Amino acid sequence: MAFTLQVIIDALSLGSFYAVAALGIGLLFGVLKLINFAHGDFITIGAYALIVPSAAAQATLYIGDFHPLMLIPSIIGIVVVIALISEFTVFRPLRNASPATLMIGSFALGFILQNLVIMIYGGRPKAVGLWSDLNLGIQLAEGVQVPQLQLIIIGTTLALMLLLVLFLTRTKYGIYMRAAAEDFRMARMLGIKANRVIMLAVAISGMLAAAVSMLFVTQTGILDFRMGIPLMLFAFIATVIGGMGSLVGAVVGGFAVGAVSILLQTFLPSELRVFRDVFVFAIVIVILLARPQGLLVSRAAKERV
Amino acid sequence: MLLNVENLHVHYGRIAALRGISLNVAEGEIVCIVGPNGAGKSTTLLSISSVLSPTEGEISFDGKSIIGTPPEQVATLGISQVPEGRHIFTSLTVDENLQVGAATRNDKDRVRQDYERVLDMFPILAERRRQSAGKLSGGEQQMLAIARSLMTNPRFLTIDEPSLGLAPRIVDQVYEVLVDLRKSRGLTLLLVEQSSERALKAADRLYVLRSGEIQLEGKTADLQDGKAVHEAYFGFTHQHDEDEVEF
Repeated sequence: MAFTLQVIIDALSLGSFYAVAALGIGLLFGVLKLINFAHGDFITIGAYALIVPSAAAQATLYIGDFHPLMLIPSIIGIVVVIALISEFTVFRPLRNASPATLMIGSFALGFILQNLVIMIYGGRPKAVGLWSDLNLGIQLAEGVQVPQLQLIIIGTTLALMLLLVLFLTRTKYGIYMRAAAEDFRMARMLGIKANRVIMLAVAISGMLAAAVSMLFVTQTGILDFRMGIPLMLFAFIATVIGGMGSLVGAVVGGFAVGAVSILLQTFLPSELRVFRDVFVFAIVIVILLARPQGLLVSRAAKERV
Repeated sequence: MLLNVENLHVHYGRIAALRGISLNVAEGEIVCIVGPNGAGKSTTLLSISSVLSPTEGEISFDGKSIIGTPPEQVATLGISQVPEGRHIFTSLTVDENLQVGAATRNDKDRVRQDYERVLDMFPILAERRRQSAGKLSGGEQQMLAIARSLMTNPRFLTIDEPSLGLAPRIVDQVYEVLVDLRKSRGLTLLLVEQSSERALKAADRLYVLRSGEIQLEGKTADLQDGKAVHEAYFGFTHQHDEDEVEF
């Protein structure tokens, strides 16, 4: 019982990272038809923004030392600004290009961001202690001890999803964004300002990336210029198996990938455990062979007579 | 003239879809463009909404050129379009679709009035306000598409094939509403249809478009016997032979 609970919480907290990152990718895919491979690098930048910019081997916290009420908005602000700059300099000029071109553009952007991080902070991983007390365990039931952080990660993810749902269904701009995601041309013909909706989606995507940055660094305690890449990769897989274009699918996919990873981690024989990701990807391939359109397809716009 | 199109050329890649068409619509008029499949009818409407950019020519609305104006700005000028295939937002509710229609407007009270008016006009939409628009039948979707366009408070409404895929009874209903809109709001309409019969009944004036060129234009009152239209439409003289093929 205790063991099962432990596995469930592990799966949910890992799935949370993937789900939030997948939401950030899914939102942009919705309005821009862009698979933003730089999303992982937005996460990286949010993490590096915690420390004093220097190539020193020892990281010194700067924003990371602020009171959380200052820290969180600052990191979110920085990542959102980087995301918006990316929109103005890369995505907007490529707006009318093919989706493949846009995607390659986002790859290029990702490399540029990674190399900027190397130039400013150096290429070596750095240890950093953000809110390290949160890694202390708390007693959930007899024999079940989980780091407080895992519960915070799960709680934050649920709160973010709830906020996003409220935004998308209860606010004017949320409704416009859903309309634009379904049929951008029609939305524009009705007077929806394309640039405004896209900027808003980019900004929200940046906020979600920043949330992952902070939670992820708190958990791992390590900064690395490549730290966003595996997150991006798994989140991308999550959006694909969930069904491209469906935000619910992105969340379901994120939790599914998290759960599969943890289950393999737990139940694979120890000599195979290093190959965990191979098994994850194999399962992904099997899922896609069975359901190429993803687990949850966005409601198809079937023409009716 | 409310709308003036002058020598409009539009290309898809190197293929010409429109080869220098000119047409105009006066305030309060109902004008219909008829023509066979691939004649360039939809291309004409999409150019008027500035979704497509012409290679040559001029489009002016209310005396001002709209060439190069982004579609969302054209919408704020009072041009609205119900495009081919309706393009309603199927993942949104009926209400949300209508709300998107009113996106550009700040006159809350009038929006409220218009909302009630379109629901009066299409009672079936009122019944399904909270339902996902994807669940509506084809006819209901057509009504929603028209209602959504009306929520933009247009001066000039273009509709691409209002009768496509609809049962004749529903088509009559849609046309009734359109003719009524002109009467009640002074709305100017530019319709596109494949069948000229329907158009001859509802419109004041008619353009026949074939192969990207205007073949014929005239008042529908002068074209009622349909012979000239038929000839312009098909490009050959209609003969009353025994073994005539019915179109």
